[in-house]
Amino acid sequence: MALCEAEKTFILHSVEENFRIDGRQRGDYRPMELETNIVAPSFGSARLRLANTDVLVSVKLEIDSPTLEQPKLGKIEFFVDCSANATPDFEGRGGDNLATEISNCLSSAYKSSTAFDAGKLCILKGSKCWKLYVDILLLECGGNLYDAVSLAVKAALWDTRIPLVKSVVVDGNKVDMEVSDELFDCERLDVTGAPIMVTVCKIGDQCIVDPTTAEEHCSGGSVVVAVSKSNFSTILQTGGGSLHPMTLLESLKLGQTVAQRLDSTLINTLKQINDNSTDVGFLK
Amino acid sequence: MFSTRAFIKKNKVGNYLKNIREHYIRDDIFCGLESCKSCEVLDTSLTGGFNNKNNLFKFNHYIILDTNIILDQIDILEEDVFGNVIILHTVLKEVKHRSLPVYKRLMSIIENPTRHFYIFTNDHHKDTYINQEKGELINDFNDRCIRKACTWYMKHMPNEKFVLITDDRGNRNTARNEKIKTCTITDYVKNLENSKHLQDKLARKDFHTVVDSDDFYPPHLPTVDIIQGIKDGSLHQGTFRASTSNFLEASVNVDEFEEPVIVQGRAGLNRAVDGDFVAIKILSKDEWISPSDIILEDESVTEGVDEVLEKEKVLKKTQKKANAQPTGMVVGIVRRKWRQYCGILQPSNMDGLFHLFVPADRKIPKVRIETRQAEFLRTQKIIVAIDTWPRHSRYPTGHFVRALGKIGDQATENEVVLLEHDVPHSKFSEEVLSFLPKLPWTIKEGDIAARVDLRGLDICSVDPPGCTDIDDALHCREIEDDKLEVGVHIADVSHFIRPGNALDIEASNRATTVYLVNNRIDMVPVLLSSNLCSLRGGEERFAFSCVWIMDKEANILETRFHKSIIKSKKAMTYEEAQMVIDDKHQVHSIAQSLRNLNSLAKILKRGRLDKGALVLASPEVKILMDSETHDPISVEAKKLFETNSMVEEFMLLANISVAQKILKEFPECALLRRHPTPPPNNFDPLVKAGNHLGFAIKIDSGKNLAASLDEAIREDNPFLNTMLRILATRCMMQAVYFSSGMYQKDEYFHYGLAVPLYTHFTSPIRRYADIIVHRLLAVAIGADCTYPDLLDKHKSTDLCKNLNYRNRMAQYAGRASVAFNTHLFFRGKLQDEEGYVLFVKKNALQILIPKYGLECTLYISEEGKTSPFTYDEDHQTQTAGDIVLHAFDPVIVRLTLDSKNIQHEKFILQLVKPHIEGFSIAPLTEMETKHKLTEIESGKKNKKQKKS
Repeated sequence: MALCEAEKTFILHSVEENFRIDGRQRGDYRPMELETNIVAPSFGSARLRLANTDVLVSVKLEIDSPTLEQPKLGKIEFFVDCSANATPDFEGRGGDNLATEISNCLSSAYKSSTAFDAGKLCILKGSKCWKLYVDILLLECGGNLYDAVSLAVKAALWDTRIPLVKSVVVDGNKVDMEVSDELFDCERLDVTGAPIMVTVCKIGDQCIVDPTTAEEHCSGGSVVVAVSKSNFSTILQTGGGSLHPMTLLESLKLGQTVAQRLDSTLINTLKQINDNSTDVGFLK
Repeated sequence: MFSTRAFIKKNKVGNYLKNIREHYIRDDIFCGLESCKSCEVLDTSLTGGFNNKNNLFKFNHYIILDTNIILDQIDILEEDVFGNVIILHTVLKEVKHRSLPVYKRLMSIIENPTRHFYIFTNDHHKDTYINQEKGELINDFNDRCIRKACTWYMKHMPNEKFVLITDDRGNRNTARNEKIKTCTITDYVKNLENSKHLQDKLARKDFHTVVDSDDFYPPHLPTVDIIQGIKDGSLHQGTFRASTSNFLEASVNVDEFEEPVIVQGRAGLNRAVDGDFVAIKILSKDEWISPSDIILEDESVTEGVDEVLEKEKVLKKTQKKANAQPTGMVVGIVRRKWRQYCGILQPSNMDGLFHLFVPADRKIPKVRIETRQAEFLRTQKIIVAIDTWPRHSRYPTGHFVRALGKIGDQATENEVVLLEHDVPHSKFSEEVLSFLPKLPWTIKEGDIAARVDLRGLDICSVDPPGCTDIDDALHCREIEDDKLEVGVHIADVSHFIRPGNALDIEASNRATTVYLVNNRIDMVPVLLSSNLCSLRGGEERFAFSCVWIMDKEANILETRFHKSIIKSKKAMTYEEAQMVIDDKHQVHSIAQSLRNLNSLAKILKRGRLDKGALVLASPEVKILMDSETHDPISVEAKKLFETNSMVEEFMLLANISVAQKILKEFPECALLRRHPTPPPNNFDPLVKAGNHLGFAIKIDSGKNLAASLDEAIREDNPFLNTMLRILATRCMMQAVYFSSGMYQKDEYFHYGLAVPLYTHFTSPIRRYADIIVHRLLAVAIGADCTYPDLLDKHKSTDLCKNLNYRNRMAQYAGRASVAFNTHLFFRGKLQDEEGYVLFVKKNALQILIPKYGLECTLYISEEGKTSPFTYDEDHQTQTAGDIVLHAFDPVIVRLTLDSKNIQHEKFILQLVKPHIEGFSIAPLTEMETKHKLTEIESGKKNKKQKKS
């Protein structure tokens, strides 16, 4: 997106006035739409639309063996696919860097055991564990990717049902297990602690959250904070420019409060999703 | 509308995938009732013209069945007593899932329009579709589906009545609360009008009866424990094989042990029935025992358990630790292999409804059945199915299926033989018959063009007398000075049986024609077997010809295969052909060609024997039947003519030539026949017997074996050589069909015939393997097109498995039929016969009577009596005074038939010669024989008088 100087100034001023170009205040979010369980063959899925940003997340399960260093922990892995539909910039290998950046950020945010208890994914210490593959597909980019992705991932994990293991038989080195084939016999993951990422964007002297694409262009620098409950799990600085320590502190504080607010809203929303809602298919 | 059904399934790699199935819900599924105004009636069997009459529901009603009824009571459903039955799709699916055989039987009922069955696809109907609830067991869900369908029917057709039949008490109670009319199958059948006899056929599955009596057997482990146990190695699984001589012993073949594992006693066997796939626990080594050497028969006539306990004690006493084998006990049944069993009712004074059924197969335990017609059934051979074997019951519980006929009747016994050997012998279905050519059958122009016309040749067939399925014919003519053209013409069955149609599928299932003494179970319908395919004399027939150009030394110079049209000049018997050859005055062309064939055959045979082909012997007998009464009038050993061997030689040659041809064309999928070399220890009895007689039998190769058998001749006992050959036959392995792609080249070898390649080509009317070989050969010479299954080596391996199984069974069935008729022949007769000692045992002599092909046991030491014989184990002799009995010694024995046990009649032998004081009996005088015979004669006359 190309902006002329006048436009940039206009945006700068609007942030200054705490009345952004789309009418929001600095700490406000744009409206979001959330759907879960929309990819039927996966074990959990969610789609989040934040204004023009559209993210689809699906969770796949596989049996794996734990690493030697952490025999009691299961595994979780993130893949981001920047589809060229989202923005022309992603064409070819254009989105690769961004994709790696987002997945690395998610990996490090989910690494802490307080944020995400990978011990629950362990089936048999040292030999069998579940591995979660979290596939993130960016359908449309309208700014503030990190936030949207983290929310969608959390919703998808919330939606994930892990099949109950009925029996595990150890025979020498061979481990055989039997898994219930009933979908009713599944366990939900506990994701209350899963981190929420908030991008705090510095425009002029002020910090805002949920920047649009235009706002991102005017930003001098931004910080992504991943907050799990009330703790920071990861902090990442993106974009050019540098931040004053004072501004950094300020933005962390803003990020934390916004993240907590977002988190509680998300969990409330998820809780409202009715389990027994009848399927609505394309034929209806 | 649609809904989805999701479930988790493990894939091959070991990962778990969520599977989603779309499930469509429709509004165009119809109730199937004729009287319904709102539904379109397309094609329904439910009709107002049929009324279910039942005293329990005194109105016309439609029946809805629960799954358990179909699974347990399919025998009842097959009876033509109730109609207007609605089968719900939920039920159908579950039946299919639980038992495929029952599903097939159910489907054949449903397809029969006179039974008025209708499938209602309730799980796709918009009003009867329901979702499985969280935590709901699949059984409960299915029951709910069934009730939902019932209530829907009641609402849909308020003027009609519907009755749900289920044996599940919970389901019944819930149904009553929902105002559905319901009852158990037992109640329903009891109150059927005019169908009281059906009660016997009800399967006894008293799921809910509480029995106070003590448990007689230890419980079986739950399936989960069994699976777990097998996985962690604490349990083993294998096929349960009951012992024929001891009803309290059995063995289980387990992969982990080389020897079969012995299980003994009531707790050890724990309700396993012969053939079941069981889980066993191995006992600790100090409890291992050797197989028992005593004979125990289950002689109890009541359900009392005392006798078993008594016999168990006897068994315990005789247990030996020497040569102990792995020993275990059955702890659970992995898979039941129950089938229907033939047998008789135990003659007893038992009153009431419960009776014991004694199966013909000794390996099967007696079965407790309920019947109201015991008096009648005692005279009949009957079929019974086992339903269940509860812990508290001494015997398994079963139900009567049908009566086969009077005990001892030939027709009944034939039926028993066929059933016991799993021979498909039902009539050919309409569908199968529809693929037969239409009569009058004429040869068309196109056929003549596609075939070589050999109608001008002097072709003739040589077969046993009375043969109607003539599948081979021969010709031989001189073409040049030193060259002969020899042709073998085989009926072209594959022309009539096209791959994949119902006729073909039926034939491939039957696999072979089964010959009983007075009956033939055809593989293909009689129109083909005795008419269109049979190469009858003087009629034009299609043939598949194998033609060689040979020199006078029987060297093959050229081989051709082609389809042809032939006209056999004459269908001869072996005897006729022999006479033509021997009669020097006959010089017509057929006589000439027969003589040529005969001399070629002799050369061929010599060549074959030189290569090491074995001449084996097995006592074969022919039973002559009275054409009117169908009683056997004499039993005699089969006569062999030179012409027998002549025909055989050319058949062998044709088979070998064809085998070479098809293997060359289809190295991966040729159907061949192999005869594996027997492992050396198979020959132990033969070598031992040879050693005792002073003959060294070499077994290192077929050639040496043949040579050493040829040398084993003793002047004073001409039958000795035959006896050795009989023994050698028993050391052989079974020859089997196989697909060439599944074995290594050197394994193709046919040991008995000593040829590297062999197949069956010459009897397509009575063997299915030959049809396949015909098809392969036809493709190879471009006379026919191929089809995918023919060239799939896995498919043809499966086919071979069936062929081998059916062949084996047909062989056994044939033998059983001969044995029965021999018994029939000897009933009431008393005869002294020449026999030979086959084996010398510790307490008995095994005697072979070649005249009747009988092998019987002559017991020489009875319990409680001192025997005059002393046994020498090293030399295998029995000595009494100055008389020494060796193996193969000729003896004369008196033969009587013990008919006390009508199920298992057996021969009783008494020694006549050599005479041993205090043991042998005096030979029969003429008088006695006559007396005995006149007695029988007069008995017959009496019968005849009664009839008139």
